[in-house]
Amino acid sequence: MTEPTGASPLLDARGVKKHFGAVIALRDASLTLKKGEIVALMGANGAGKSTFVKILTGALRPDGGTIRIRGRETKARTPAEAQRAGLMPVYQEPSLIPDLDVAANLRLCNTPVEPFRHWVDQLGIKGLRLDDMIGQLPLATLRILDLARALAIEPEVLMLDEMTAALPTDLVERVLQVVRAQADAGQSVIYISHRFTEISELCDRATVLRDGATVGDLPIEEGVEERIVELMLGAALGAGRGAGTDVTSVAPEGPPRVKVRNLAAGTKLSDVSLDLHRGEVLGVVALEGQGQDELFEALAGVRRPSSGSIEIDGKAMSFHHPDDAIAAGLTFVPGDRGDALLMQRSVRENIALPLVARIGKWGAIPMKDEARRVTDAIERLQIDTRAQGEVQRLSGGNQQKVTIGRWIATGVETLLLFDPTRGIDVRTKRQIYELVRKLASEGASVLFYTSELGEVPMACDRAVVIFNGRVVDVIEAADADEPTLLRAAYGLSAEEELPA
Amino acid sequence: MKRYFQGATIVSLLAGLGSVASAEGYTLGISNTVQGNGWREEMVCAMKAQALDSGKVDSLNIAHRNTDAAGQLEDIRNLVEAGVDAIVLNPSNSEGVNSAIEEAIAKGIVVVAVDQAVTAPGAYILSNNQEEYAYLGAKWLFEQVGGSGDIVYMRGAAGAGADDDRDRGFKRALEEFPDINIVHEVFTGWQQDQGKQQILDYLATGLPVDGVWTSGIDNVIVDAFVESDAPLVPIVGADNAGFVGQLATVDGLVGAAVTNPGSIGGAGVTLALQILDGDMPESNTVLVDPAIWANNDPAGMALIEGAQNPNLDPEWPVSVSIPGWTTYTTEEIIACKGPGE
Amino acid sequence: MTRLISKQGWVLGLLAFLALLFVLTTVIQPDFGISGLDSLSRATLPFAFATAGMAVVVIAGGIDLSVASMMAVAGVSAAVLMDGAGGGGTVLAVVGVLAIGLAMGAINGAAIVYTRVPDIVVTLAMLFVWEGVALLILKAPGGAATPWLRELIVGNVIFPWLPRSFVFLVVCVAVIWIPLSRSRLGLSIYAIGSNELAAYRSGVSVGLTRIAAYAVCGLFAALGGLTLTMSTGIGEPIPGPYLMASVAAVVLGGVVLGGGRGALLGPIIAVFILRLVRMDLTLASVDPNVTTIVEGTIMVVVVMLGGVLAMKGRKT
Repeated sequence: MTEPTGASPLLDARGVKKHFGAVIALRDASLTLKKGEIVALMGANGAGKSTFVKILTGALRPDGGTIRIRGRETKARTPAEAQRAGLMPVYQEPSLIPDLDVAANLRLCNTPVEPFRHWVDQLGIKGLRLDDMIGQLPLATLRILDLARALAIEPEVLMLDEMTAALPTDLVERVLQVVRAQADAGQSVIYISHRFTEISELCDRATVLRDGATVGDLPIEEGVEERIVELMLGAALGAGRGAGTDVTSVAPEGPPRVKVRNLAAGTKLSDVSLDLHRGEVLGVVALEGQGQDELFEALAGVRRPSSGSIEIDGKAMSFHHPDDAIAAGLTFVPGDRGDALLMQRSVRENIALPLVARIGKWGAIPMKDEARRVTDAIERLQIDTRAQGEVQRLSGGNQQKVTIGRWIATGVETLLLFDPTRGIDVRTKRQIYELVRKLASEGASVLFYTSELGEVPMACDRAVVIFNGRVVDVIEAADADEPTLLRAAYGLSAEEELPA
Repeated sequence: MKRYFQGATIVSLLAGLGSVASAEGYTLGISNTVQGNGWREEMVCAMKAQALDSGKVDSLNIAHRNTDAAGQLEDIRNLVEAGVDAIVLNPSNSEGVNSAIEEAIAKGIVVVAVDQAVTAPGAYILSNNQEEYAYLGAKWLFEQVGGSGDIVYMRGAAGAGADDDRDRGFKRALEEFPDINIVHEVFTGWQQDQGKQQILDYLATGLPVDGVWTSGIDNVIVDAFVESDAPLVPIVGADNAGFVGQLATVDGLVGAAVTNPGSIGGAGVTLALQILDGDMPESNTVLVDPAIWANNDPAGMALIEGAQNPNLDPEWPVSVSIPGWTTYTTEEIIACKGPGE
Repeated sequence: MTRLISKQGWVLGLLAFLALLFVLTTVIQPDFGISGLDSLSRATLPFAFATAGMAVVVIAGGIDLSVASMMAVAGVSAAVLMDGAGGGGTVLAVVGVLAIGLAMGAINGAAIVYTRVPDIVVTLAMLFVWEGVALLILKAPGGAATPWLRELIVGNVIFPWLPRSFVFLVVCVAVIWIPLSRSRLGLSIYAIGSNELAAYRSGVSVGLTRIAAYAVCGLFAALGGLTLTMSTGIGEPIPGPYLMASVAAVVLGGVVLGGGRGALLGPIIAVFILRLVRMDLTLASVDPNVTTIVEGTIMVVVVMLGGVLAMKGRKT
C-alpha cells in the first residue's frame, strides 16, 4: 500500500442500509476502524447490531451503502469471501463443526496448525488434542478454540461478538490480554460486548447504534459509560442501582420455602446448603464449572443428587422427573433459551404453555382466561410485538423475557433462573431485573445465578458464593460490590489479594 | 433347529398318516415376489395345501415378499443353500431370474415356474396364458358394445411382465375392432383402492364410457358404478370371488369373468413332485388356457352360479382347484396350511 | 487404542454381530460354505450401493427418497445401452450410466438448494419423476447385459471363499469414498450435516456441497442399478425394495439421521447383517410373514442397545 497507515481507515463502512420486507433493520449504519485500533460496537436490542455484523462479515448483502477495506470497496457475498478480504469474525455460537475433530475443523477452513496451537496455548487451554471431538468439549473451550482459529489466519480485522460471554473469569482475563497485545502489534478489532468494564479496559473508541443508524462515535475515557448508555437508549437513565432500588429487601423471616442441605451431585457439586425464603431473590455467584449447573439441575429434577436433602416448605423432596419439581412449585429457566422455548410457535403460545400444562392433562383449554392472562403478560413484559408470530424471530433479549414472563401469566412460587441475562443489552437486562424484583415482591422466591458479578447488587437481596462445589460465602446485597464478589468467587478470603 | 423340525414333522406324519411313505419326504422351496395380493395369496395357499395333501413333502421353505428380480435371485439362491429338492416359483419376469434358476438346475434341483414363463433351459413351466387371457376378455367386450364405442382400459402394474403380456393380447383384439376407441388408459398397480379411485375420478368427469376392461381389479369397479349412480356398462374382470358374485347378483350388470386360476400354484407343486418321482412330462411347457364366463350367456351363467362360494375372500379367484392337477379340498386351501404347520 | 474403540465402537459391534450370525448360519445349515458366501455377497450388491448413496446424503443432513427410482433409471439405461453392444460399447455404456447417475443426483440436490423446498418433499417428488423416466426408457422388463460384465460379479477371485462380487463392491466403494472422505468436499459434507450455520461461517459453500452430496448419492445409485442389470441380465423399470432397506441399513450402520455422524463402513456391514438375517430365516423355513417382523425388531433392538452402550460408555 502506498498510503501511510492511519491516514485512511483500514475498514470504512458508510451509510449501510438493509430491510427485510417492510421492516427496516438498518437505515444508516457506519463504522470506521484504523490499524491497531479496538472499536466497541454497541447498541440496544433491535438497534440493528447483529444485522450490521452479518453484513460486515458477508453473511447478508446490504441494500445500500459502501464497505471499503484499505480504500477498496468490497462486495463480499459469503463469509468465505469476507474472510479473504481480511475480515474474520468470532461469533457468540462457536463456528466449529460438532461432529468433526479439532484437526478436521482446521482443515475445513485451511487454518495452519502450528499458529493455532500457539494461540490455544497463549489463551490458556491445556491438554487439547487434535483428535478431540468438538462436540465433546465444553462451550468455554470451544469459544477459545474459535478465537485461536481466527487469530491463526492473521486477519486484518478481527470481529469479536460477545467474546467473553460464557467464559470463566480466568479465561476472560487471558482473552483480554491477548486481544490488547494483538492490537498493540497492529491488529484491528471490532469488539461487541455488553460489559462496560471490559470495554473501558480494552477499547479505544465506541460506535453506538440506535434504531438502525450510527448515533455516536466516542473515544473511551473516564465517565463515557453514561454517555454510551444515553446514546443507546436515546434518553438519560437514572443513575445507580436498577429497578432493585425501589424494592427494599426484607430480612428473611420465618421458615425458608426451599431448604437445601449438604447437596452433592455429579462430580462437581460436593456440599451445598442454602435457604431460600418467600419474597427473596438469592443470588448464586460462581466461576464457570463450580457446580452451579448441577445445583440448578438437581433442584429442577433434571439430575438426581447423590446425597443431601431438598426440603420445600418443610417437606423432604425426592425428584424423579422435572414434573415432580414443577409440582413442588420449582420452575427452572435454563440458560440456553432454546431449551425452554418452542422456537417455531408464537409468543402467545409460548407464554400460555405452562398455563395449559397446569390444567388437568386432558381437560379443555379455557381460551378466554388464557387470552386475558397472556395479553396481560405481554404488556407487562414490553415485548416487541412486531415479530410475535414465531419466537425464533425475536431478539435474544426478548426471547429471554418470554421465558421468564410466561411464569407471570401462570403465577410462580419458586423460580430458578440460570444466567438469564447472558448476551443481552443493558435496557433489556434492567427490564429483567425489574421483572425478577416484581415477582419477588408478589411473594415468589427466586434463585438467580449470574455470570456477571455486577448484576448481583442490582437484582438480589443476598448472594451465596460457590467455589469448588461448596458454599464459601454469603454476602448481603449492600456489600456485594464486584471486588468482594470476585474475591469470594476465587475462593479467597477478604484479606488475601486478588491474583494479578 | 431345522433337523429338529424335520424330525418332528416326520414323527407327526408317521403318527397321523401311517399310510404315507416317509422315505419320499421331499423339501420344496417356494419363491413369490408379490405379497398381499389376493391372487398371489391363493397361489401360495394352493402350493401349501397341495404339498400337504400329496403326503410327499416334509417341509416347505417359503420366500414370499414384495421384491424385484434381483430380490428373487437372492431368494432362489437362499433356497438352494437350504438344500431343497425342488423350487416352485412365480417369476418376477421371464429373463431376470434365469441365472439363479440355472445354478439351481446345475445342482440337480427341479425348477417349476408357474403363472409366467421363464426362458432358462431346463426349467419346467406351468403357466396361465396371459396374452390369451386379455384377448378373450377384450374380444368379448368389443363385441358386446357392438364393435364401436368408448372403452376404459384399466391395466395392472406398469412395467410388470404379466401386464406387458396382457397388453399384447388386448392390442391384438383391438386391431380386430378398428372402431373401438380407448378413452382412458390407467395402471391400477393391481391395487383395489387405487383402481376404485381412478374409475371414480373418471366417472366424475362425465366423459362417455361404453365398457370397462380390467386386469383383475374388478369388483371395486362395479362398486364404483353403483355408488356413483352411473349407468352400468359391460365390465370384464377375472374370476375373483367378489366379481363373480356380482355377476350373479347385481341388477343390470352385464359382464364376463376370464379365468386365471391362482390354484396354478398347486398344479406347479404336483408337477414338481411328479418330476422328482421320475415321471417326466412330455414337454417342458404346459400352458393353461383361460376360459371366459359371461353372465349374458347361459353356459357362462351356469359356471358363474356353480362357482359361488361365500367363504372365499372377494379378492381370491373362485377356481380354487384345477382338475387333474390338484387334489386338495376347498376347505384345505382356505385353511392355507402346509406340511408341519 | 481406547480412542479407536470408542470411535469405531459401533462398527466393531456390528462386525461382532455379523460374526455371530455366521456362526448361527452354520448351525442352521452345516453345509453353508463357499456358494453360500457367494450368493450372500451377490444379493448384497444393490442394497449396499443404495445404502452407500443414502448414507452420504444422510451424513450431509438430508435424505433421498428417490434412490430406488434412480437405480431403476440406471438399470434400464444400462440394459438398453448394452443391448447388442460390443466391448467398447459396454465400457461407454457403463460410463454413460454413471454419468446419468451423477446428473440425476445433482438435479435432486439442485432442486433442493434452489427451490428451498424440504429435501424429503423434493426427493419424494423425484421418486415419481425418475420412476416415470425409467418407464419411458423401457416400458417392460427387457434389454440385455454384456456377458463379460455380468461375469465380473460371478464366482470367486484369489481365494475360493472370496466372492468376486464382494471385491467389486469393496473396490467401487473405496475408489469413490476414500478420496472423497479425505478431501475438503468430504469434510464439508460432514460439516453441513453437523451444523449448517457453523459450516457456512467456516467458509463452506453449503449449497454446492449439498448438490455434490446428492450427486455422489446418484453415482452410488447408478452403480446399484448397474449391478441389478448385471445380476438379472435385464433392466427392470419398476423400482425394487431398496429405499426403506437403505434407510434401515444406514440407521443400523450408525449414521445418525439428521447428519454429521457415521461413515460408509458401518452401513455396509449392516447391509450384510440384514441380508444374512433374511438368508437364515429362509434356511430355517420361518414363516415369511414373520421374517419382516424379525428384521424390523433386530433394527430397533440393535439401535437401542447401541444407544444404551454409548450412554454407559460416556458415564464411565
